Amino acid sequence: MRAEKKWGFIRFMLTTLFLYALWLLFTASIEPYSLIFGAVGSLLIAALTYNIFIARHQANLRYIIPNPFHLVLYIVILVFFLYQSSIHMVRAVFTGKASPRIVHFRTRLKSDIARMVLANSITITPGTITLDLNDDHLTVHWFFCDTSHAKLAGEKVKGRMERFIGNIWS
Amino acid sequence: MSVREWFALIAFASSVLFGSAGLVGMFRFPDPYSRMQAGGLCGTTAVFSAFIGALILAPNAAIAARVVVIMVFFLVSAPTGSYIVARFTWQSGTPVWKPLAKTKRLSRKKEPT
Repeated sequence: MRAEKKWGFIRFMLTTLFLYALWLLFTASIEPYSLIFGAVGSLLIAALTYNIFIARHQANLRYIIPNPFHLVLYIVILVFFLYQSSIHMVRAVFTGKASPRIVHFRTRLKSDIARMVLANSITITPGTITLDLNDDHLTVHWFFCDTSHAKLAGEKVKGRMERFIGNIWS
Repeated sequence: MSVREWFALIAFASSVLFGSAGLVGMFRFPDPYSRMQAGGLCGTTAVFSAFIGALILAPNAAIAARVVVIMVFFLVSAPTGSYIVARFTWQSGTPVWKPLAKTKRLSRKKEPT
């Protein structure tokens, strides 16, 4: 019971800190009224939502706190992927050339946040949309499919990104 | 016009380009998944390009930082939106569009369903 309480407190504090950092960034003022109002607001919202923001069963801080250097690197790479895939998509729209298919594969990432980020990255990278994410099993609609082998398809769709995300939430 | 404004103009122009291509794709493809591919992806890139233009035109570092935070949140929220629509389409059992095996292209004629 004690550990449970402690873990709840840590989750609450992390949520509060995150909200307060965002508040400071968006208001960008150091008047006492704004500082106090932000603190009270973030405490209140954290008390209401810390259970959703960080799930109870994610009992490992490395699953929650990202590695900042790898995170920034990953966002830059993701923007590059976004443009590359859009150009592919524009070409497909005008030529009408496509071979859509549903593929299934598994991921080896453990943390919930990492899996969510992987699903979102799959949605914005070359011609793939995540249809379902069930524990570690992903169902993906692939627009430029050229293989029906499950492992190969998984490697082609998510291989690069999974390696990067594994570095962020190791 | 300064160099900065020219770069912003390029960003906004690419936003318009991607946005209209996504719109064309949304009306051109036959099934919901492919329409979502075109509409969702090109829509995301269009809005993202507009944000990059805003970032280039930002007058000082504080506003630029806010634009960057909005961009990161947009990168989280836009795929989530299309994921939700795709998930419900998939769970309601919509079949996937298969192009004709010979050409692998969108045909001009109406395809038998």
